[in-house]
Amino acid sequence: MSVNTTPMPPERLLELDDVHVHFSMREGLVRAVNGVSYHVDRGKVLGIVGESGSGKSVTARAIMRLLSKNAIEAGGRIRFRPEPGKEVEISSLPRDGRQVRELRGGHIGMIFQEPMTALSPVHSIGTQIMRTVMLHRRVGKEAARARAIELLEKVQLPKPTEMIERYPHQLSGGMRQRAMIALALSCDPALLIADEPTTALDVTTEAQILELLKSLQAEMGMAIVFITHNFGVVADIADRVAVMYLGRIAETGSVDDIFYKPKHPYTRALLQSIPRLGQAPVRRLKTIPGMVPDPFNAPAGCAFHPRCAYAVPGRCDTLVPEVSLFPGDQSARCHLAGKLPEEVL
Amino acid sequence: MTGTTNAMPEDALISVSSLKKYFPVTRGWLQRKVGEVKAVDDISFDIRRGETFGLVGESGSGKSTVARLILRAYMLTGGSIKFRRADGSVTDLTDLSDRELRPIRREMQMIFQDPYSSLDPRMTLLDIVGEPLVIHGVGSRGEIGDRVGELLGLVGLRPEYATRYPHAFSGGQRQRIGIARALALNPSFIAADEAVSALDVSVAAQNINLLQDLQEKFGLTYLFITHDLGMVEHISDRIGVMYVGRMVELGDTAEIFKKPLHPYTEALLSAVPQPDPRRRASGRRIVLKGEIADLANPPAGCAFHPRCPYATDLCKKEVPDLRPLGGREVRCHRAEELDLAGVEA
Repeated sequence: MSVNTTPMPPERLLELDDVHVHFSMREGLVRAVNGVSYHVDRGKVLGIVGESGSGKSVTARAIMRLLSKNAIEAGGRIRFRPEPGKEVEISSLPRDGRQVRELRGGHIGMIFQEPMTALSPVHSIGTQIMRTVMLHRRVGKEAARARAIELLEKVQLPKPTEMIERYPHQLSGGMRQRAMIALALSCDPALLIADEPTTALDVTTEAQILELLKSLQAEMGMAIVFITHNFGVVADIADRVAVMYLGRIAETGSVDDIFYKPKHPYTRALLQSIPRLGQAPVRRLKTIPGMVPDPFNAPAGCAFHPRCAYAVPGRCDTLVPEVSLFPGDQSARCHLAGKLPEEVL
Repeated sequence: MTGTTNAMPEDALISVSSLKKYFPVTRGWLQRKVGEVKAVDDISFDIRRGETFGLVGESGSGKSTVARLILRAYMLTGGSIKFRRADGSVTDLTDLSDRELRPIRREMQMIFQDPYSSLDPRMTLLDIVGEPLVIHGVGSRGEIGDRVGELLGLVGLRPEYATRYPHAFSGGQRQRIGIARALALNPSFIAADEAVSALDVSVAAQNINLLQDLQEKFGLTYLFITHDLGMVEHISDRIGVMYVGRMVELGDTAEIFKKPLHPYTEALLSAVPQPDPRRRASGRRIVLKGEIADLANPPAGCAFHPRCPYATDLCKKEVPDLRPLGGREVRCHRAEELDLAGVEA
């Protein structure tokens, strides 16, 4: 896919164009992200779903320019619009330069699965938020403290004036996640990248955090890139969905199209393999045969073909499928997209 | 203390009554006891022969402790556990010594959550799967090798893999190795503690199907512990819902999901994000206040009352009993009058 050079449409906040990230390992080259394109509009939620090794987190780190040292940013373009009329090409900036550091935390916030490893264990919650605010906003200590209290209140932590003195280990998992959200939101980011933020939480706590993120999103109008392996969570929070498999986007579209009119066999198979609450009892779950292939020797052609029920020999195992477009801004990378038999989901 | 004992229902394989496990809370280098954590408090239930009994609850509810008590990995603080042996006799496990327990352990096995830490990285599959056979002195070297090959075949792994080490296998395959090890001694009962929680969607479905196939083939009885309500609904015949060390509701899976009798069950069911955008939880979802109660310092009365939308003064003062109601058991003062919502079909 050629890199598109036209300016982004005005509603666009983030656009990834054919992004490649490789890792050079002893066992060989791993193409963790192998030509990923997606976009997020201002104030919208993009859900990214995929199994382990699909490249969903690596892509997110590429946006933040937080990839590890052995990562090779092998191509593609990442553009971001920090304010109306301004466009920054994140992918061409030096990764530790002033501009990237300004974006990180200032315009793009990030929350992770395990707040205990993302938060500093030796600084209080308040100190961590105050430092971020002071760095990006150039305000004094008093103003930063007031902001920290306001943020902790916003994420509904009890007794915010006491909470700012607390250290992460003194909080429960759900409270830590709230503290991390407060930290990520400290500078009113236009974009929040949330990498499996509810995966480690209990279901009632997960529900609390999802409702919190939804209300904050509505209130502050930020966009969210929400990475998860849980289709239930995606259905709950996302406006658009991208399904990833082995470093590529298999399918992307509106949340309704992905769940009710999936065009890619992988999306269909995944949706069929999850037990749903209250569904008519089935004897056995539908499964996808085999397992996610080893990234060192990803299959030729369409990476999903060895597990695909519809794979056409001679085509799917040799040619990488192009992206097929469908109405409603839905697209699928499959030779048979749009030609699959109708199935009841 | 072996031999047939009183009152165990005909169809029960395991009968647990008034099970208690209190862990001491100690302080200082003298390990002075300053309190108790009632991890499991007065739990009674039967597991019927050939069924899958699901134990549901959030972290700290005591569900894993119950499994470990049944397998007598912990000493009981109180209560009793009875187990029906393969020959039909009933043994009271409560006060048995390790030596007396040894022959019974052949009939009760466990599968663990983390397939990475539950397999020794320096042992081959032959050693891992064959270890129970060696410990119990079953068969010669050659016979053990044959049996390991057979067991690997049963869980869908190639017998040739017996000489490999766990690192060569994916998470889902490692989980199968754990299942093969659990099956080695032909048990009648297997406790699976979050056995598929760490796996990807497509792999979890494969392993759940495998567990069900094995159950049919060998007439196994499962205690299935999970926080995944979709999975538990799919696999369990009956479930018990735990909250802060106590059973709050117990009964037939389909009935509980259709119409819960305990407010905590209702909240749990409503919290699950459904893979169905048209049924977005917002609006119907009951977002509980606060956090799961502290086990070391549980609230007076019903432990759920501070978070319960239906709590009355009575709930703050008196601990409700687990009592029978409509073919189920429920621990709630208001169970009769409340009209709680289940999962819509």
